[in-house]
This record gives sequence, structure tokens and C-alpha cells, in this order.
Amino acid sequence: MARLWWITLLLWRTRLTKVAEPLQQYVNAITPALSCSFSDAPLMAIDLEMTGLDPTSDQVISIGLVPIINGEIPLAKAQHLMIAINGSVGQSATVHGIVDNQLQSALTLAEAMQWFLLQTKGHILVAHHAPLDIQFIQQQLIRCFGHAIPLVFIDTLAIEKKRRLQQQDFLQQGSLRLGASRARYHLPVYSAHNALVDALSCAELLLAQVAAMGDVNKLTVNTLIDVRG
Amino acid sequence: MDASELQPVEQFLAAHSPFDSLPAEVISHCAKNITVGYYSKASGFVEFNKENPKLYIVRSGAFEVRDPEGVLVDRVAEGECFGFSTLLSGEKVVNKVAILEDGLVYHLPQAIFVQLRAEQRSFDQFFTRAFAKRLRNEGRFKAKDLTTTSRITAIMCANPIIVQAHASVIDAAKIMREHRVSSVLVIDNHKLKGILTDRDLRNRVIAEGLDTTTLVTQAMTVNPITTHANALVFETMLTMSEHNIHHLPVVDGCQVIGMITSTDILRAQRSQPLFLIGEIGRQANIDSLIQVSKQIPLLLQNLISADARAEEIGRVLTSVTDALTRRLIELNQQILGQAPMAFCWLAFGSQGRQDQVACSDQDNGLLLAHEPDEFAAAYFDTLTKAVCKGLDQCGYVYCPGDIMAQNPKWRLPLNQWKALFKRWVVTPEPKALMHASIFFDMRPVFGPMSLFNELQDDVLASTKDNDIFLAGMAGNSLTESPPLGFFRKFVLERDGSEVKGMDLKHKGSALINDIARVYALSAGIKEVNTAKRIRALMDANIINRKDALNLADAHEFIAHMRLANQGYQVTHNLPVNNFLKPHHLSSLLRHQLRDAFKVVHDAQAGIKLKFLRSF
Repeated sequence: MARLWWITLLLWRTRLTKVAEPLQQYVNAITPALSCSFSDAPLMAIDLEMTGLDPTSDQVISIGLVPIINGEIPLAKAQHLMIAINGSVGQSATVHGIVDNQLQSALTLAEAMQWFLLQTKGHILVAHHAPLDIQFIQQQLIRCFGHAIPLVFIDTLAIEKKRRLQQQDFLQQGSLRLGASRARYHLPVYSAHNALVDALSCAELLLAQVAAMGDVNKLTVNTLIDVRG
Repeated sequence: MDASELQPVEQFLAAHSPFDSLPAEVISHCAKNITVGYYSKASGFVEFNKENPKLYIVRSGAFEVRDPEGVLVDRVAEGECFGFSTLLSGEKVVNKVAILEDGLVYHLPQAIFVQLRAEQRSFDQFFTRAFAKRLRNEGRFKAKDLTTTSRITAIMCANPIIVQAHASVIDAAKIMREHRVSSVLVIDNHKLKGILTDRDLRNRVIAEGLDTTTLVTQAMTVNPITTHANALVFETMLTMSEHNIHHLPVVDGCQVIGMITSTDILRAQRSQPLFLIGEIGRQANIDSLIQVSKQIPLLLQNLISADARAEEIGRVLTSVTDALTRRLIELNQQILGQAPMAFCWLAFGSQGRQDQVACSDQDNGLLLAHEPDEFAAAYFDTLTKAVCKGLDQCGYVYCPGDIMAQNPKWRLPLNQWKALFKRWVVTPEPKALMHASIFFDMRPVFGPMSLFNELQDDVLASTKDNDIFLAGMAGNSLTESPPLGFFRKFVLERDGSEVKGMDLKHKGSALINDIARVYALSAGIKEVNTAKRIRALMDANIINRKDALNLADAHEFIAHMRLANQGYQVTHNLPVNNFLKPHHLSSLLRHQLRDAFKVVHDAQAGIKLKFLRSF
């Protein structure tokens, strides 16, 4: 996990560069969250469905957002958004179950990114294997605004890896996947897979991980966060 | 947001009571308003927010609810709820909820809970525990005519005799002779091809002068008329008379599962109670009486499959026992001659209460008008031994505790019976009372009513308002307590232990019998049947109307479950006992049974308060 000073430095650096106004506001809004206790911190679990795994060439099809507020997940505020893409969904349709005609009511990438910034502003992002989702978001921001910004996040996979390595030396292949990690905390198996359900799965996993760490009331969010500039 | 995307949450709600009865759009409305929390065992107890009460629906993990005194109130696992008592009463949270296993919990806000109760009757009933109404609805079905409502599967022959399609008629005839049947089913590749009857052999083989090596397929009736597994006996009778046939294969899909003949239907009618009791009265010797008594298990099975009320089943079966007892006495008196004095044959326990079920043993005694001389003593010794032996042969096995008229200890003149009861009443020693309790459920089966009344009036006069005796009886009735309910695949006892089966007799019916007995003796009520006792107690304002109806319903419901369970055991060739495995129950039945136990528990608390307060 990154040191708070490093995060602060990255955020400051962004202020000196000329970035678009919405991005600047977004970066400014995150600062108060960094010094919160875990239960007070505004968190937003995210999950993206993509056409592939390469942020530079592949596209985002849908985004699921599930907030964590006061250590609970209000499902009323869970959101799911489809994004119109260039070309066909192709092979990834078999993974996500999204077919092209579902995308007809979708937003354009620019609309979707504005929506994303509005919804997650002031929130620390949470994702399983977060660097991938974060890179994709940053790449989409470059496409829409010409700039990327540093994003602060919690990676449930990194937390799980650290916790597992405290207990044993060797990690079995696949043992850090979302489903396998959830199983260790007796979390239910969800058969459906889409950006929303996976974001919910990730949010629940974080609650379970934090509960397993001990006294939640003493936990501060800065021990969990990381940043990508 | 498109609500249907919260599929995992909606699916979960839709699979559990009481949400399972809600329409899809209401479930999705619930799902949208849920917040999800995670509770870790390490934090010990669930922290309740006093300003913001919620319904807690357990998604995974396990929790334990304890009252302020630390007594276990409930244990809650996946799909079950806690926190509703606060939502219903509006009082502040007093119970503590311990986290037994880490788990995910859905919180349903109070506003939604209130809205659902207002709009969804089933939801409201579930939570207000309107058990009285619900159990009454469940239990108040009328006993129907057996022939019209029994299922065909209850009386069919389950292993029909079959021959393969390539067999010859002589092979078929040999099989029919060997099994003594008048028809066989012709099967090809597990599918029903035809039916071959005695009549076919006569008309299509012998009369036609065909060779015995003719294939069955040439002689059989092709594609015979069949009946399905769910058909009613009545429908099957119609089919038979419409087509003038006497054999019907019973099919389930394309699978043959049995065979029903007009003889089977006749036999089912013969085991109707009235017919059976009439038969018993007509038998001229003990051997034929034993033969007739073999139909009693079938009678029970028919009554269960006709969904008769448990109380009625108990009364019907007991009337059969009474009729058998009377006939045995009469037949033996024909041999022994007139009795030297008036006497009453007394039934105790379940026969006394008229709630006999399968595999009841004998509990009886003899009340003599006065002290017998040597001849009279020998006469009654011979008579009672013969009757008890006859009952044993008819399936009512000897009482393991030797409470039988053939035991001189329980064959007494009136004054000694009176003295015996007096001893139990005046010096109620707990252990002795426990054994004596069945004697207080006594009923005359044979003999002059006036003689019995003399004894019963004397007993009731001494028990009525007798605080010390009633405290002793009440204390006895509280030695067992009903289970708390269910926890996963186990029955949860009040001490927190878990057992795999529930003893519906000793932890259910017997407790209600005890409660009704204590009240009845305290008020000098002559009834001994538990339902009648409760009714009389209600009419006399000794138990309030609501509690009395609840108790009567709980009694009926538990007895019904016990009989249904025994019916299930019989049809599945399992040993017949009083143990119910919780996994055989639907979610709704579990909740109803749990409610019934709650009623028993409350009634026990009432007994404790009323009769044990001075101790």
C-alpha cells in the first residue's frame, strides 16, 4: 500500500499541470477521504466489463458501481451503466452475457466518463485486481479529456494476497480470484456475472476482509489505499 | 438502475419465507432498499442502531438471540430473520444477538417492513405470528369420505406382476398361477404394451384353439386403459365401471408403477371404520376377530391419505379398539358365563383420551362393584387374562409397564380404587405421580356408567382446587419442554443442544395432554379427551378463549404432523416411530410447527404461574 505522502504528492502534481476542469475538481474532492477512518470513508466498489485485457486497444462495455457507506452497502445506490462501443462486442459476449442489441440504449464513452466522474467524485475506488480497472478508466479519461489523473483505490486482491502471505508462504494458482477469496469468508456464490454483481461481490469481500482484520473502529482507510498516477 | 440486475439478492429473497410469497416486483422493491452488512464473529455481538430499527435477514453465517437473562430465544441461520420483535412492538431492543459464524446480513429498513406488512397479508401474518388463524386454517379440514378422496397410490399394489413381450401364454399363465393373480402386465423395454387377464386366456387362447406357445402379445389387450398415480379412488371406480373392466395399470408418465383391481377398491372400502366396527361386532370367535383386526393398519393408512383431522383419526381408531375390547369381553363371557358382579373395563392413557395412533400398547384396568370372593376373583382373573391376550393378538401389545386388567394390582373393587387415587392425591410424591398420570385419563369401555361415575366423581372431588396435588401434577408436566424450533438440519432444544429428529410425542402431544389434564383436574372436569378438555376449560372460562383455541390448534397440528410422518414412514417402509426429521419439512411447515411449539411453551409458562406460584 502506498504511503500517504506519495499519494498527496501525486495529487498536488496534478494541480500544477493543466487538466480539464472536471478532472481538477475530481482530484481536489478526494483529499478529505484519505484521512478518514474506514467506516467513515466514502468508498465505491467498481467493476468494468471490457472487450479484452489491453487498456490501449480494448474498450469498456459496462461499469458497475456499488458504494460502501458507514461500513454497509446500500443497494439502492448501486448502479449499472452500458457504454456504446465501436464495432461488435465480439467474443467477450460469451463472458459477460452482453449482446450488441443491449448496447443500443447505451451512453457514448464521453457521457459515460462524465457520469463516472460525477458518481465517484470524493470516493475511494474499490476493485478486485484494481490496477487493471484503474488503467482502463485512466485510458478512457485520456480519450475523452486528453489527460489521465491519479486515482486512489483499494485493491481487494492485494489485501487478500497480503493476508494470505501472512499465513502461508505459497499461494496456489487461482486462490486469489474473487470467487475463491469470497469462499474463504463464507460469502455466498453468485451465479450471475455482470459489472454490477461483480462490484457488489467485491464490496462484500472488502467488508469481510476488514472484519477479519480485527477492530474495524480503529482501522483508518490510509492503511488500505493505493494510488496510480 | 435496472432493478432486475440485483438478481442474486432477489433470487435469495424469493427462495425464503416470507418473501417467497411476494410478487416479483415487490421482491425487487425489497432488494433495492436493502443494505448489506458483514458481521464478524470477532466483534461478538450485533450492534443495534436504536434510532433506526431494521429487519435483519441472514444471507450467510449464524446468529444466536438471547434475552436479557441470557436465555436462548432463537438461533438464526441462512434465510431466517431477526430484529422483528422490535419492529413489531416498537419497544427498544432488549435481546442480544451473538455472532456464531461470520456472515452477510441484509438489512430491510423499517419503512419497507411496515409497508410490506400493510400491503402483503402473508408477510404480515408471518411476522405477527398469527399462528392461531393460520394453524386453524391448516387444521380445520373436514374428514372426507374415504372412497372419494383417497389417492389410488395408497391402495394399489405397488409391485405389479409383469411378463416380457416375447413370453408365451403358457409362461404368463405359470407366472399368474405362481403369484395367484388374475392379470399380468406385458412389458417391452420398460414400457407398458398390454394387459393379459384370465378372461383373455379363456376367450382368445383356449376358445380359439390356439397353441400354448402363442405369444402373449397375440392374446393381450393392446394399449390398455390406465389410471395415473394421482387419480382418486373415486375416479378409478368410474373408469372401471365405464369400461366394464376390473384391472387398471397405474402409470406415472410412461412408467408403470402399480396395478389396481376392483378387489383392492372393495378392500379399501371394507376398512372404512363403520364397516370395520360392524365386522368386529359380528365375529363369533376370537380367531376371526384377530383376522378382522389386521385391517386396522390399513384403516389408519386410509384415514391419513384422506387427510382426516388427527383428532378424528384418534377417535376413530380408539372406537375400533373399544369395539374390539367389548367383543373380546362378550366372547369370553359366553365361555365363562355371567359375571358374579357388576364391573367396568377401564381404559387409561391414550385409549382413555381417545387419541390412539399406530402401534399403541394396552393400558387398562378393571373396576369391580365390590370386594370379590374366591370364585369372583378367579372368574375375573381368567376373563382379564383372556381379554388382554386377545388384545395382544389383535396388535395391541401387552403394556410394558404391566398396567393391565390381568395384573391383580389394577383389578380392584371400587373402594380400593378410591383409596389408591386418594393416596396419589393426598401425598403427591413426584415420581409416583408421574406414573399415575395416565390413570387420571380413564374412561369406561365396558360396564355400567353409574359404577364408573362413582369412582370418577370421588377422584375429581378430591383433585378440584387441591393446591398441593395440582402443584405436583403441574411440576410433572414441566419436566419436558418443547423444542425451540429448527436450526439448519437440526432440531434446536431449549438448552441449545441439537438433535437430528424431533420427538413429536414426548416433546409435543404429551405436553399438551399434561397441560389439559392439570387444568381439567383442577376444575373437576369429567372429560378426558384433550380436545374436549380444552373446549370445556374454555367454556368454563378457566382458560381464555384465545389461548384455548391456540392450544387446541397446536394440539391438532402437532398430532397431524405426527400422523403424516407415520404415514410417510409406512409408505416408505421405514420403522414407525414419533421422530420427525426436519429436512422432510417445507419452510412453511417448519414455521408453523415452530409456532405450535411456541404455544405449548407459553401454555407451560401459564401452568407454572397458576399452579406453582406458592412454591
